[in-house]
Amino acid sequence: MLEIKDLNLIYEDNYHVLKDINFKVEDGEIVGIIGLSGAGKTSLLRTLNLLQVPTSGKILLDGVDLTSLEKEELRKIRKKISIVFQHFNLLSSRTVFQNVALPLEIEGLLKKEIEDKVNKMLESMNLIPRKDAYPSQLSGGEKQRTAIARALISNPDIILFDEPTSSLDPKTTQKILDLILEINQSTKKSILIVTHEMDVIKKICDKVVYLKNGYVDFMGPVHEFFIEKETELNDEFYQEINIDWNSIWQMVKDKNQKLLKIVFWGSKTHEPVLYDVAKKYDVSVNILYGKIEHLKENPYGTMIVAIRSENSHVEKFLQELSKNVYKVEVLN
Amino acid sequence: MVQDLIFATLETLYMTLVSALFAILLGIPLGIALYMLSKSEKKSSKTLYSVLDWVVNIFRSIPFIILIILIIPLTRLLTGTIIGSTAAIVPLSIAAIPFMARLAENSFNNLSQGLWDTAVSMGMTNWQFISKVLLPETAPEMVANITLLIINLITYTAIAGAVGAGGLGAMAINYGYQRFRMDVLIYDVIILVLLTQVIQFAGTKISNSLRK
Repeated sequence: MLEIKDLNLIYEDNYHVLKDINFKVEDGEIVGIIGLSGAGKTSLLRTLNLLQVPTSGKILLDGVDLTSLEKEELRKIRKKISIVFQHFNLLSSRTVFQNVALPLEIEGLLKKEIEDKVNKMLESMNLIPRKDAYPSQLSGGEKQRTAIARALISNPDIILFDEPTSSLDPKTTQKILDLILEINQSTKKSILIVTHEMDVIKKICDKVVYLKNGYVDFMGPVHEFFIEKETELNDEFYQEINIDWNSIWQMVKDKNQKLLKIVFWGSKTHEPVLYDVAKKYDVSVNILYGKIEHLKENPYGTMIVAIRSENSHVEKFLQELSKNVYKVEVLN
Repeated sequence: MVQDLIFATLETLYMTLVSALFAILLGIPLGIALYMLSKSEKKSSKTLYSVLDWVVNIFRSIPFIILIILIIPLTRLLTGTIIGSTAAIVPLSIAAIPFMARLAENSFNNLSQGLWDTAVSMGMTNWQFISKVLLPETAPEMVANITLLIINLITYTAIAGAVGAGGLGAMAINYGYQRFRMDVLIYDVIILVLLTQVIQFAGTKISNSLRK
């Protein structure tokens, strides 16, 4: 388990990059650190294995505080934290095989042992046909897989990914995300991903740390993040699917109408909850906006509806609906 | 005369290559030391870096002809004489070592911060970093540096020739300047040009073959 306690980073020119950062990565979890450029994501990642020494605070790996270690102990514990860098940082003078073998050479393993382990790793990464190629001959996806193989070969406790998909095309991105998820599920290793892409968070993360101007603005399960921060996220990350509120308000001028925002999450998203409850209480429902996405394996949906009812069942309708969906919000 | 030219060429090659060898054996490690010290966060390392940096700059700033004169006592101590090709190797090496160190340091500095980060995060020792990352990754550039060094040394041997070192430079001065033997001077220059071309051609070839 990786635990960050009261972490602060202040550069020499008094620029306060990271402010009182606290979070945990439990064993086997995939945690995403998201934020806009300049929020301090990369600085945070660099402090986690002390490439950047924090000004104050603790970094605990299974209870051992990295900031208190002597040089030699720190060198050893760093092998338990692998980093897959944004620009891969493969050695241009080494082939794919030799790059992946590097961490084992450092360990001082025997040649035969290294060969066996590396071949096995390359096999699982589908890199055998490229094992003798140099990095300059590889595609972006192949470079990324080589970098991941190199990070995995030393059998670390936790793997840190710095913007793993930022230089890849959408198709390769999907493959790499699937690969990261597969690694997490098969090895049960903790994974920490720094990214500015919402899709990465949605597709593979269990928890999210939302970094804003150097402090942690939100930390918790991914679905709560999307529900709590929806408006803000729409503004900052993907304006193109913003809800057009003006036209929605136009449609509900009638005073007898109520405007509801319904949030679905989990298995009930696929059940006809809204229809069943509306029928039971004789409420007419007019759908104005709706979307369903998937957060890792769970569906997550938002719906904006206008309801109208001549009778007094509206309150009961709202009560029962609330019990069956994640959240109901009356907007007017 | 042909015999003289051949002998002078061999003398030039002897001075150039032996001092280049010293420069490589001592200058590259000095360059590594400069780079590693500049990367270290320890205060003592930073101080040591400043001292070395200063020493390298001093030797780089003394004009070669003056350096030859300045270190006459050292030359005499090491070779027992101050004339001839062997004696010239001392000032040539002393000029070439800091030059090589600076060239090497520059190449190391061009290495991306990313590779340094990678090495640190893998838990490499300094020696592992030097042998597995620093030297292999800069090998093509280092060959280009050595080529530059050798060509510069050929020029320096001519300067050394003016004060009794022998070689093609001395021959050009003795025959061409003092005896007005234009033909000898021209042959002399042709050989120098050819030497430079061949070394540059070979250096570029090797450097490119190392680039992966």
